[in-house]
Amino acid sequence: MSKWGRDTLITIDPVSLEVIRNGLTSIAEEMSMVVMRAARSPLLREAGDHSSALTDAKGFLVAQGQDVPVHLGVLSFTVREFLARVPAERMQSGDVWIVNLPAVGGNHLPDVKLIRPIFADGALYAFAVSLAHWADVGGAMPGSYFADARDAWQEGMRIPPTRLVAHDEMDAEKLGLILANVRGEDERRGDILAQIAATTVAARRLDELALKHGVAWLCAAFDAIHDRAERQMREAIRTIPNGIYSGEDFMDDDGHGGASVPIRVTVTIDDETATFDFRESADAVPGPINTTPFIAGAAVFYVMKALYGPDIQPSGGCYRPLRVITRPGSILDPGADRPVVGGNHETCQRVADAIFHAMAPFAIEKMSAGGPTTAGLLIFSARKPEGGWSTFYEVHSGGEGARIDRDGMAATRVHLANVMNTPAEVIEAEYPITVEFQRIRRNSGGNGRHRGGEGIERGYRMRASEVALTTMFERAVVPPYGLAGGSPGKTFGAILKRADGSEERLRGKQNIQIASGDLVVVESCGGGGYGAPPTESGAITGVDQKDGA
Amino acid sequence: MSGWRLGIDIGGTFTDVIAVAGAARRSAKVPSQPQEPVRAIVDAIAAVGLTWDLVDEIVHGTTIVTNDIVQGRFRPCALVATQGFADTIEIGRGSRRHLYRLEPTPRAPALVARPHRFEVAERIGHDGSVITALADAEIERVVAQVAASGLDTVAVCLLHAFRNPEHEARLGARLREVAANVSLSHEISPEFREFERMNTTVLNAMMMASIKRHLALIDQEKPATSRLHLMHSASGMAAPELIAERPLMLAMSGPAAGVSASCKATADLGIENAVTLDMGGTTTDICLIVKQRAEIAVNRELGGVRIRMPMVAVDSIGAGGGSIARLVSGALIVGPESAGARPGPACYGKGGTLPTVSDADLILGYLNEARTLGGSVHLSLEKAIAAVEPLAHAIGFTVVGAAAGIARVVHANMARAVRRTTVERGVDVRDFAMIAFGGAGPMHAAEVARLCGIHRITVPAYSSGFSALGCVDAAMSYSRQLTVGMKSGAWNAARLDALIGAEINELAVALMRAGHGRESLRISHTAGIRYSGQSYETPIADPALDDVITLGIQFDRAHRAQYGYATGEPWELVSLRTEVAASQIAGELATTAAVETTTVPVDRRIVTFESGESRTVNVLDRSCLPRNKRLAGPLIIEDEWSTTLLPPGDGVRMDAAGNLQIEVAL
Repeated sequence: MSKWGRDTLITIDPVSLEVIRNGLTSIAEEMSMVVMRAARSPLLREAGDHSSALTDAKGFLVAQGQDVPVHLGVLSFTVREFLARVPAERMQSGDVWIVNLPAVGGNHLPDVKLIRPIFADGALYAFAVSLAHWADVGGAMPGSYFADARDAWQEGMRIPPTRLVAHDEMDAEKLGLILANVRGEDERRGDILAQIAATTVAARRLDELALKHGVAWLCAAFDAIHDRAERQMREAIRTIPNGIYSGEDFMDDDGHGGASVPIRVTVTIDDETATFDFRESADAVPGPINTTPFIAGAAVFYVMKALYGPDIQPSGGCYRPLRVITRPGSILDPGADRPVVGGNHETCQRVADAIFHAMAPFAIEKMSAGGPTTAGLLIFSARKPEGGWSTFYEVHSGGEGARIDRDGMAATRVHLANVMNTPAEVIEAEYPITVEFQRIRRNSGGNGRHRGGEGIERGYRMRASEVALTTMFERAVVPPYGLAGGSPGKTFGAILKRADGSEERLRGKQNIQIASGDLVVVESCGGGGYGAPPTESGAITGVDQKDGA
Repeated sequence: MSGWRLGIDIGGTFTDVIAVAGAARRSAKVPSQPQEPVRAIVDAIAAVGLTWDLVDEIVHGTTIVTNDIVQGRFRPCALVATQGFADTIEIGRGSRRHLYRLEPTPRAPALVARPHRFEVAERIGHDGSVITALADAEIERVVAQVAASGLDTVAVCLLHAFRNPEHEARLGARLREVAANVSLSHEISPEFREFERMNTTVLNAMMMASIKRHLALIDQEKPATSRLHLMHSASGMAAPELIAERPLMLAMSGPAAGVSASCKATADLGIENAVTLDMGGTTTDICLIVKQRAEIAVNRELGGVRIRMPMVAVDSIGAGGGSIARLVSGALIVGPESAGARPGPACYGKGGTLPTVSDADLILGYLNEARTLGGSVHLSLEKAIAAVEPLAHAIGFTVVGAAAGIARVVHANMARAVRRTTVERGVDVRDFAMIAFGGAGPMHAAEVARLCGIHRITVPAYSSGFSALGCVDAAMSYSRQLTVGMKSGAWNAARLDALIGAEINELAVALMRAGHGRESLRISHTAGIRYSGQSYETPIADPALDDVITLGIQFDRAHRAQYGYATGEPWELVSLRTEVAASQIAGELATTAAVETTTVPVDRRIVTFESGESRTVNVLDRSCLPRNKRLAGPLIIEDEWSTTLLPPGDGVRMDAAGNLQIEVAL
């Protein structure tokens, strides 16, 4: 136990708890603001594919930013797994560590975490963590999504916990080693500096709090936050009827084009604890849509919060009443050698879908029908005339699933995703790509008493002679589901229209060379409908945003 | 020239006016006229005993635009966008507001209905080059479509138009022949990111009709010799000609005036940090003032709608004197519904029958039944009791007990809002002073401060017309932000000089028209600079615009201060904010001390405090209070327009400038 262990003599009154809880959250939010404002790659500064968190000395989350739920779920594990490998005694004030190994409380190699231990009077009392998706971490393909990957080493540079900054000085040699192994050296350097800056700001703010309240008080407040979140989670579980429930959903394929692959969960509710058993899910697959048990945990936490406790403070305490079981050798616990890059955002959403299915018997009125539970990812990497690659990473929104009381909304990100789009004006200014159009994909939502939201169509025209295109999307085969008799939404698709007039539908996980004049059109999926549609032919409900309204 | 300068603040319930001429000053309060706001201006001028020909200058803050946005009164608008991009208004940025909430819609619905979206074949490149020229025939085609839609309001947002406005300008010229209200994106929000620019431009267009009508009505009343200025959202002035085209600049006009006056008060009083509590008839506005400056946000949501324009960061809640109390599933709820100006609280005797906070205030003895408000409102205790009685009966309380309950609930609501504003920013409000104003602020401030742990309140002189004071007192300043886009490696000093010169000329015109000499104007700049490859600028105050080397050093220094590092890489001057300000016409407003001071009560009445305790309390006249003498609560201090309530245990002292300084017992 560290110097700043639990002090049972300090009690935190309800007003102070609320002030400190919000104060910590605003520090995490400020970290994200710093990354967004200082970073170089459009993926971070425009699309916001990054997250920030603070943990206590043992690595348990105490606050997070308003960022991306899948990152935040994973960050609940990152520092604890990091501490299991790097004992606290090895850390010093002024350190910043870097890690991207999925096994270290992680998800996939592109999500690189910068971790700063924070000390008072020589003793560790907190960590600040900045997670950012790097547009490239090396590996076989620019953009670091290798669709044909057969093992994890093809996916990019693997960074175990490494001290990158000591005594607030960057270790230039380690930085050089990292930059030599990733594409886009200048952009990456700028992104690392932005992440470090975020942890620096967090340390400054935490020190202010520690100065004001005393570290012992602050640590007691961390404990109070955990205890309150645990209480909230237990109260939430108590509202669910006891029982054993199971649900499943399917990945489009095994990542290399094979048959659909099941994600299965058995949920056991026992008073105020809940167990999520994923052992019945498919074996590990050959393609890059395996994922880590931490991702399964992130999805569990997301669904519980969304259905039962949106106001539960994300914190280590939330997980105490939750148990997540995965099977080694399965798609959710594949071991260190399997490729995982797409699992982070594709399989994780399917885990959430499976849990929603399991809970539908008693939660259908709280649920949304199937939505765009896929990143709908396209990566365009253009070879620059002066050498190197210019990599544009873009996720696509789709139609939200309908609900018992309303239509789904068009063009939105759902559940564990919340990365924004990149404005056409930014794309055109920074990449050799013209955005020809961006529009609502009319009538792509599922029919029903309430209709699913509509997806989008966006067209990208290439202006460079050599472009490596990568796809990573799902819901191209298995459509977003309807609920309570509603119809499914239209599936996700991407079409390549070559300059020579030929046309092909792209697969969900593919690397392909394209060239100047080629047009890539995304058609994102629509949401599922809710309830049986009206019987009179042609009658359409929920005309609020539809044509002719 | 008689030299009267008027600050007029049109609120939801009352319109406040402060008139200044040299050392003379007058103030008044008249009921607002939501249906005809200009009537209130005319009434206000009469109420201070002036006529139009004696008024040189009017500075006017208004909630017209704010209320339209918050209440979703959007005039149907046509949108003209680049071919393939009209749905951008609906696609937005694709993200949702709440990470973990499934029930609410992910975003507010698109501002423009699908049938009202039109596309035009044209294309400007990101560097401003013309890729597809806009043909005249194409202009005619889309103008005919817009005309056929029957809409009189149009927003135009073409890709990269802020780099080359030629297409938008040509379209705009023709559209203005068929539609009364046309907004062009390169004029309204000349910055990159097509959705943010489009949404802001559409919202601006939607507000044009009502603001133009308002300005035209003022014009009908006012002679050409009286000049009109409006208070814009970032606490500065704007000319009516500009506001007619850019009404969105008024989105936070009302609160901005009070915040402006508060900032000045903190500076005068040497208060470092404060939270403002501006409680009027309909809402309470709360704003943080840190180091004597209010936070100006560039991207705000108002009523769920994204607006990209600089404005004071004010949070509003539906708690005011007119807030209606009712019983909902066993809980006493107060607001956000308000009896507003018409019918007003029951005690106003204008037809209101529902119990409101003001009715409770009258029953509790805070308000003086014998006084009239705004020269026309006579308070009726009988009507207040009649309104509260059914509620008291329903909860099994006495009428006084129910009134105390209403006060407790509204205090708790306001305290939570104060905490949210401060705590969300990680600020501990207990270290802050409170500045309480607005018609009802000084009456309720002590209990709210106590709940928040705030131990010092300032009730400024002219507290009830404080926003009007902010209007009349604000420096005459005009400001605007320009997109420059000049890289350190391709510096073009001549082009920058020309841009700055043109900008200053344009901003100075309104001030020169108001009679200020060109040489008396103060000009200041804030540069927005970023490293090539960043998306967000670091602001540089007083940039060395004539020396690229020094400017680079300034930027590196500011970046290091903000982020802890600087790289010395090439950078880009992205934007330039220019402010042109006139020196204030009138000198400092000094309050005139009363000739004879006294602490002899003008009245004694029975007052019931939040605790339920009733005491006979002395009522003092604020205008006769001695300076710098500490008085102990319980006490009521009345002035012409408002009541300051001092519960037992608290202390108060009037300072030399006429401000009430309250110490709150915690």
